[in-house]
Amino acid sequence: MYAALALVVGIVAGIVLSPTVPDWMAPYLPIAVVAALDAVFGGLRAKLDGIFDAKVFVISFVANVLVAAFIVFLGDQLGVGSQLSTAVVVVLGIRIFGNVAAIRRHIFKA
Amino acid sequence: MADHGGDARPDPRKTAKAREVLKRNPVPSLLVDLLGDPLDPGYAEAAARPARPGRRRAILYAVVGALVAGGILGVAARVTDANAAGAESTRQALLADIGTAQRAGAELEASAAALAEEVRQANAAAGHGGDDDLEVAGGAVSVTGPALQVVIDAPAGDNGGAVILDRDIQLLVNGLWSAGAEAITVGGVRLRPTSTIRKAGDAILVDNKPVFWPLEIVAIGSPTTMAADFAGTSGYGRFSSFASLYDVQFGVNQLGQVTLPAAPGPVLRYGRVPSTTSAVSTEPTLPTLPTRPTG
Repeated sequence: MYAALALVVGIVAGIVLSPTVPDWMAPYLPIAVVAALDAVFGGLRAKLDGIFDAKVFVISFVANVLVAAFIVFLGDQLGVGSQLSTAVVVVLGIRIFGNVAAIRRHIFKA
Repeated sequence: MADHGGDARPDPRKTAKAREVLKRNPVPSLLVDLLGDPLDPGYAEAAARPARPGRRRAILYAVVGALVAGGILGVAARVTDANAAGAESTRQALLADIGTAQRAGAELEASAAALAEEVRQANAAAGHGGDDDLEVAGGAVSVTGPALQVVIDAPAGDNGGAVILDRDIQLLVNGLWSAGAEAITVGGVRLRPTSTIRKAGDAILVDNKPVFWPLEIVAIGSPTTMAADFAGTSGYGRFSSFASLYDVQFGVNQLGQVTLPAAPGPVLRYGRVPSTTSAVSTEPTLPTLPTRPTG
């Protein structure tokens, strides 16, 4: 409940305040978005399953963002940045899709 | 996450105790894991642990995490919005740049043609009159005469570049040359002996200048023989079969008196300013161009 409220507040704050994203950070924003979506849907799924744990939520989110950004950074240095970005997006994308499917089954029983 | 116990081979040197000491963090096959349960296994593990943080603390964690996640989403939405506007203005600016560069290029080309004409007249005045036939063949002078017009285009509703290849056009133009054409323009670009007809994506480049569909090829030559000779060339045959098989538009017309412009001044690759020891020349000297890699 509080988390959902905080999520909405965060989105609104991000849109309204519109902080300028430094250039060096720009390539990592899409990856961070995918990782954030993964964390949000994972958390929601866990909540519906009754095993939500705030610490796991925060730590897995932060770790996923950092690891994903690091992989992309490393890929950029090695010249395979776009391929590794694809890898990150595929892995997190499958997780998002699976979690959303589980949430859908939970809510609609279908 | 269950330990799948990867190595099943019994190792006599490893005692049960050693196994206990070697604490590993086994991971099941990544793809199987990915396609199995997408939920972070950490949730299940945390739920299985008896000790859990206090409620107040849990709420704080969740709120901070959700706030950051929401913030990222909001910022991303904002940035995407801003980038869309930026991309559009960048596109417009690039289009304007291209237009300016093309106009500048056309101006330079016109001045190069005018200067080449001056050089030619100065040469003639100095007694180094050029060979008219060579000048016509080299595209150095404009040519007027009866002409044959060939218009080619893709089937209606299709993009020409997707159907007609550069080599087809080359064959067609070579057919016109062999039919006795003295001067040819392709899409308004006068061909020189060194001209290229190439394909770049869906566009046809003649001498590195883009030409547009429908492509109009005009050849000046003998009004009596050229049309008949051209109809016997393989280029004509190829395009007439294209027209019957693939509905490619292919039209050949006789034109009256037509003037084809001169090609832009020659690009000197091997020409040099004569050294001062040779005979004193009154010719205007052309600057040497840097040698360029061919091809």
